[in-house]
Amino acid sequence: MGSNIGLIIRREYLSRIRKRSFIIMSVLGPIIMAGVIIFAFWSSLEESEDQHILVIDDSYPFFADLTGTSTVRLEVQQLSLTKAEALLEASDFTGILYLPKNILANKSAELIFKKEPSFRVQRQLEERLQQYLEISKLKEFNVSESDYRRLKAPVTISTFKYLGPNQASEPADNLPAIVGQIFGVIIFFFILIYSVSVMRGVVEEKTNRIIEVMISSVRPFQLMFGKIVGVGAVGLTQFILWIVLTFTIVSIGQAVILGDKYLAGNQQPGAVTEMLQEQMDAENAMNLTKISSDDNLFNQIRRVNFPLMIGLFLFYFLGGYLLYSALMAAIGSAVDTDTDTQQFVFPVTFPLFLAYFLSFQIFSNPDGPLAVWLSIIPFTSPIIMMIRIAHGIDGADLWQVYLSMGLLVLTFLGAVWLSARIYRTGILMHGKKASLKEIYKWLTLR
Amino acid sequence: MSILLQAQHIDKYFGEAHVLNDVSIDVREGSIFGLLGPNGAGKTTLIRVLTRITEPDHGTVLYKGQQLTDEIRRSFGYLPEERGLYRKMKVWEQAIYLTQLKGIDKQNASTQLDEWFERFSMQDWRKKRVEELSKGMQQKLQFVITVAHDPELLILDEPFSGFDPVNTEEIKAEILRLKEAGKTIIFSTHNMSSVEELCDDIALIHKGQNILFGGTQSVRSSFSQNLFEVVFKGSKVAFANAMGHRFEIDTITEIGDRFHAVVRSHTEESSKHLLKALAEFVEVLSFREKIPSMHDIFIAQVSAPNESLNPMTDGV
Repeated sequence: MGSNIGLIIRREYLSRIRKRSFIIMSVLGPIIMAGVIIFAFWSSLEESEDQHILVIDDSYPFFADLTGTSTVRLEVQQLSLTKAEALLEASDFTGILYLPKNILANKSAELIFKKEPSFRVQRQLEERLQQYLEISKLKEFNVSESDYRRLKAPVTISTFKYLGPNQASEPADNLPAIVGQIFGVIIFFFILIYSVSVMRGVVEEKTNRIIEVMISSVRPFQLMFGKIVGVGAVGLTQFILWIVLTFTIVSIGQAVILGDKYLAGNQQPGAVTEMLQEQMDAENAMNLTKISSDDNLFNQIRRVNFPLMIGLFLFYFLGGYLLYSALMAAIGSAVDTDTDTQQFVFPVTFPLFLAYFLSFQIFSNPDGPLAVWLSIIPFTSPIIMMIRIAHGIDGADLWQVYLSMGLLVLTFLGAVWLSARIYRTGILMHGKKASLKEIYKWLTLR
Repeated sequence: MSILLQAQHIDKYFGEAHVLNDVSIDVREGSIFGLLGPNGAGKTTLIRVLTRITEPDHGTVLYKGQQLTDEIRRSFGYLPEERGLYRKMKVWEQAIYLTQLKGIDKQNASTQLDEWFERFSMQDWRKKRVEELSKGMQQKLQFVITVAHDPELLILDEPFSGFDPVNTEEIKAEILRLKEAGKTIIFSTHNMSSVEELCDDIALIHKGQNILFGGTQSVRSSFSQNLFEVVFKGSKVAFANAMGHRFEIDTITEIGDRFHAVVRSHTEESSKHLLKALAEFVEVLSFREKIPSMHDIFIAQVSAPNESLNPMTDGV
């Protein structure tokens, strides 16, 4: 009889991966994901595009000595804004930085641009201005610039993840957390899509009336279990295809983009630019983020612990999927048509949606009580624990992970048992819409 | 013939409803067994008990004297009343799959199905999706799938429903052929003429009880009212004179140059005496005992106010 489960799994699996929708999803998913990554990388490289900014100083020559950086060149002129705009139109200026008379009081300036500069350019300009204003104020307080430099004590904290006594710690950043969030979202969608697929499969067998032919050969449990496993395997196949294809497309994209940049770099004095840039960064007391050119998005992605993340993804996806698909199979068996499923699907999937919507909140507070509880409760843990682990879990809190995993396993076993009892009665019931009371009665039937 | 399948004192409740009430049947090996009864009598529930789809509340099912196991019931060929197939699946793929589920390996399943597809001229359907087939074609395919694994015991719930008369005859012929090949067949039906043609034994289920059972011929005979049909040429008066005190004319009609009469016998006396008496007065063209049809027995039993085994009292 064991071979029968194998046959059922095989049919459920093959009939689904041959579907056009599966093939389309398997290709479109990676294209979209890789597209997002490549676009993010490409736009981060765009930041190195040189800016030539015309500075209009209404309180000239107060800002006459304002200087830019190697990539953001500033040119201070005494012009009206209208004339400056005409100049912007006619020359190679990329933007106008307008410093109104009341800048000291209002602490605000305006940047007019032809093509929107990156956030980084904007921030560099802010830092430069701020520094310039600070230094000019020193005279007011009669403090020398060297005293001021000594007064200021800029501290940067570099974060490293502790990996063990004999291993080099790795620099941490929030990218793994983002990857965790993405995995959490993927788990949400996969559980939803594939458990609904199980339910539809059950309803189909019921409405097609093939169910009785099937259960004269196999036990209802075998049919239900075979379907759940087969559909789950389809989900895993899709996930693996997504990961492999996304990595392939991203790698190709990286090669293409970096190839271009390498050629461009040879034409410019790239090394010098870089040195100047670093010098500027070191000088800059207000420097908040440092994006050195070798620490691009691709390198950050490489630092994500993918074996761990994928391993956890598999566990939580499978655990959550088994739990929800068993319940959905029971729903499918209790109704006659797809439309009748709604009233049951909503309450059953509610915790899943709750976890999904709260996940964005938990992303910013991964160790709060809400996060801890939701990461332990099996109906929400597949999504929430994924996010918490991606943020990094304290060694002392590891018990929460084990508890969460253990509870998930126990709960899905319970759900499968419960659903099997509803299923074996439900699949033979036609023509009447089952009430909860009715379903409870099925549980107690022998 | 030995007993192949035995249901003993089966009771089944659905909530308050007593769907099967102490039902027992014996199915002889190599016979065709008819399960009769009006809608809602409990036939399908009994069949589901026999196929272990439903567990009875009381009673047991024995196969060759042994408790029925999953492995054995999987070997049955079962055609449920509520039947269907995976609509999107290809015909051949589906036939192979369902035959494999019966425990036949792919190679053998393919060989056996090939024979059946040939026999029913279904070879052109192989690559079609089930939903592309007409209802009749689907029914045929379903029948083929039921028998393709060469089962010892076939359980067919309303096998003729959905078939046109031509296909019905084809299926009937197949059922008889399978019997010839030594298979045992249980089927439920409303179609009483098929019962007379096919069934060796019957059981009539009504309101969850087995109210009538036995060999088809002996059941019919037990409802016999000692009526004889006579067709003769000659004088009606002479015919009446031949009756004597032991026989009585029930009806007599003149059709063309001959008379059709139904004669009732007052005693259990054999037809020999009647025939002998008649031969002296009229020219007997045909003479046969009138036995009630299964149809008549069914109607009388099911519409009778009490469910006892009274012989029929109304005219036949």
